[in-house]
Amino acid sequence: MNLEFTQEELDFQKSIRAWMRENVPEALERVSALGNMPTKSQQQQWERCLGKQGWLALTWPEQYGGPGWTATQRYIFDIERAMAGAPPTSPFGVAMVGPVIYTFGSPEQKERWLPGITSGETLWCQGYSEPNAGSDLASLKTRAERKQDHYLVNGQKIWTTQAHWADMMFCLVRTDPEAKKQQGISFLLIDMKTPGIEIRPIYSIDGHHHLNEVYFTDVEVPLENLVGQEGMGWTIAKFLLTHERTTIAGVADSYYALARMKQAIEDVPYYTDKPSARRRMAELEVELMALEYTNFRTVAATDEGKPFGPESSGLKIKGTELQQKMSQAMVEIGGLMSLAWDSPSVVGNESFNNAPRRYNFLRACTIYGGSNEIQKNVLAKMLLGL
Amino acid sequence: MEFNLSENTTMVADTARRYLKDHYGFVTYNEQLNQTSHCDPARWGLMMELGWLGLPFPETVGGYGGELIDVAMIVRELGAALCLDPYVDLVVAPGKLLEYIGSERAIGLLQSIVENNEKVACAFYDCHAGYNVHKPTSSIREGKLSGQKSFVPDGGCASKVLVTARLGEELVLLVVPLESCEITRYRALDGSRYADLVFHDIVIEDGMILSRGAETSRVISQVVAWLQALDCARMYGAANALYLRTLEYAKTRKQFGSAIGSFQVIQHYLVDMFTDLQQLESMLFMVSVKAELGNAQERDRACSAAKAYYADKAVKIAQQAIQIHGGIGVTEELDIGHYFRLMTHCSLTHGHRDYHLDRLASLSEVNGRG
Ligand SMILES: Cc1cc2nc3c(=O)[nH]c(=O)nc-3n(C[C@H](O)[C@H](O)[C@H](O)COP(=O)(O)OP(=O)(O)OC[C@H]3O[C@@H](n4cnc5c(N)ncnc54)[C@H](O)[C@@H]3O)c2cc1C
Repeated sequence: MNLEFTQEELDFQKSIRAWMRENVPEALERVSALGNMPTKSQQQQWERCLGKQGWLALTWPEQYGGPGWTATQRYIFDIERAMAGAPPTSPFGVAMVGPVIYTFGSPEQKERWLPGITSGETLWCQGYSEPNAGSDLASLKTRAERKQDHYLVNGQKIWTTQAHWADMMFCLVRTDPEAKKQQGISFLLIDMKTPGIEIRPIYSIDGHHHLNEVYFTDVEVPLENLVGQEGMGWTIAKFLLTHERTTIAGVADSYYALARMKQAIEDVPYYTDKPSARRRMAELEVELMALEYTNFRTVAATDEGKPFGPESSGLKIKGTELQQKMSQAMVEIGGLMSLAWDSPSVVGNESFNNAPRRYNFLRACTIYGGSNEIQKNVLAKMLLGL
Repeated sequence: MEFNLSENTTMVADTARRYLKDHYGFVTYNEQLNQTSHCDPARWGLMMELGWLGLPFPETVGGYGGELIDVAMIVRELGAALCLDPYVDLVVAPGKLLEYIGSERAIGLLQSIVENNEKVACAFYDCHAGYNVHKPTSSIREGKLSGQKSFVPDGGCASKVLVTARLGEELVLLVVPLESCEITRYRALDGSRYADLVFHDIVIEDGMILSRGAETSRVISQVVAWLQALDCARMYGAANALYLRTLEYAKTRKQFGSAIGSFQVIQHYLVDMFTDLQQLESMLFMVSVKAELGNAQERDRACSAAKAYYADKAVKIAQQAIQIHGGIGVTEELDIGHYFRLMTHCSLTHGHRDYHLDRLASLSEVNGRG
């Protein structure tokens, strides 16, 4: 067993660190340092910058525009990215629809859609959930009727993150209402500018607008935007959900959050509760270490070419629980300073002032991407044989 | 030992519940969130008619001599209704402070609160002193007050503020007109209106100093104990409301063809919420009695134990309520997330969990009753 990086990996780390220092915009770093989220243009500029370098579609095979790195290199990259104060990449294009297209798509589809994803030009959103199809995705109702040269889409999606930013949506629709639940579902790519699409914002309890409802009224989607065959949507959706993602646990961003916490505690000179705050931080550090080493094992397994199975559910559970705990600790250590919600000026310490927004937002991380209860059901069934 | 509320207290609680049902709901709350003044004159008038303005004070000032438990039962209902009317901050807190000081000047001011002629806020904290209310950084030198206060819950409508400051070695309490301070107003985590104050050499005249020395420390500790108990009352109301709403939701929300309440994990969450809630209620009764005791040590132990427990369990209930609601639970549209913010807020006012555990540990050391 060797738990250290090789010399080559260390050199790689050095070069990435230097690149980050040169390329992460100061404004972006500041946004992250305060625990805030970047604006659309900040996010997009950053992703384009990575795209130019060939570093956006990290996990992809080289033939489709990936950098050809090992899982360890990708891990190193992610740590350096986070510690430099750069946000994670939006998952919808790179981590979700991209792999679907290069795995199931036609040659024309690959040619048409993949370059926009690797360059960061096309923004995607995920149209899966519906008001009555959340955890039980297979009961979705949005209907796509096959016409002469297009599908006619009618229905409603909800919780669509960044639908208001997106150029394209990948969407699960029901193409065969007669077939059994999972079977009549298909995977469509929909241009968000198509007539008949209406987007309504949903504000979440961090006070921001990330989420949307999306309504489809007689929306015409060209037949060539169907990925795979009709009725294959469920297979694709499942592929997508367990698709290998070394960043799923959020280890890198949790390291960054811990560093921010440390900084904030030290920045408050009078702070009488420093010993208990430091102890609290040490507890979180231990948990993060356990997560990191579990993540390392999946990274190493991936480097050996082993597939990434239901363990990803375990990482999701532990990783999101830790994100919640850290954001809660930040709020609680901040004490009174965390009470300021929209103060025009800094009250004590700005990071602590901003802490509750992130804490509020992160209540969602055990819900989205398949709730943690559902992940546990998956583990019980697939790993424990229950 | 008896755990029953007196007839009187039960009546106060029932009246509060009915009043809020008729006059305050989620729609009112949402309107109030966007207003900068949280003292709605009509509701304030009704509160006066209900006797709330005088409830916790002696009959000599037109009060009803009510106990902390009576106020706690009102505040519990305010929490259950998400009501942002600053009753505790502009009536109970300054009123008890003035009552405990007891000087003629103080009682005069208390009288004007009871008669609704004056809105007075308390400024105990500043962002350079954490939760320590006995060592403010503001001070009086050569008859002038300088320094600052933060997190002053003034509801956006107070006209005077009770301020702690140092005068040489002594802790003093002064009454200062708000208009003489530099004010920054903002919305706090629970939606209420806070102010930060800066004092630029405010000239202090004799009548402005209400209390000096060790006496000041003592009365402030007494009032903070009330406020800690009332934090618990507000959290209890919110936690109970969350539990009831979540239970109802689990019975109606269907996934995989069944109500989510039929899944065992959801059942266990709800049972945890229920059993925690029972213990929270016990702690509320305990603290509502003990927070007004004369024995400072027993009082503070009770307050710290209760607040530490609430910061753990009531917050957990709010987190579970969101989790069980799924996506809808994290939206501004639904009240669940607003209760969650209220809960976080109250877990941080007048000492957070670590502060209270530390205080409890040190108090236990002294009296050996660990
Ligand atoms: C911030 C955020 C961003 C999102 N982004 C997107 C997006 O971009 N695209 C998209 O399509 N969707 C998105 N979602 C939707 C998300 O995937 C769903 O919210 C999630 O799948 C849960 O569905 P639901 O909200 O309907 O909750 P429900 O399915 O109603 O679940 C309610 C509760 O019941 C539990 N539960 C349900 N079934 C079971 C069971 N069988 N056993 C045990 N417990 C169960 C759940 O775990 C949860 O606690 C997002 C959600 C959030 C909050």
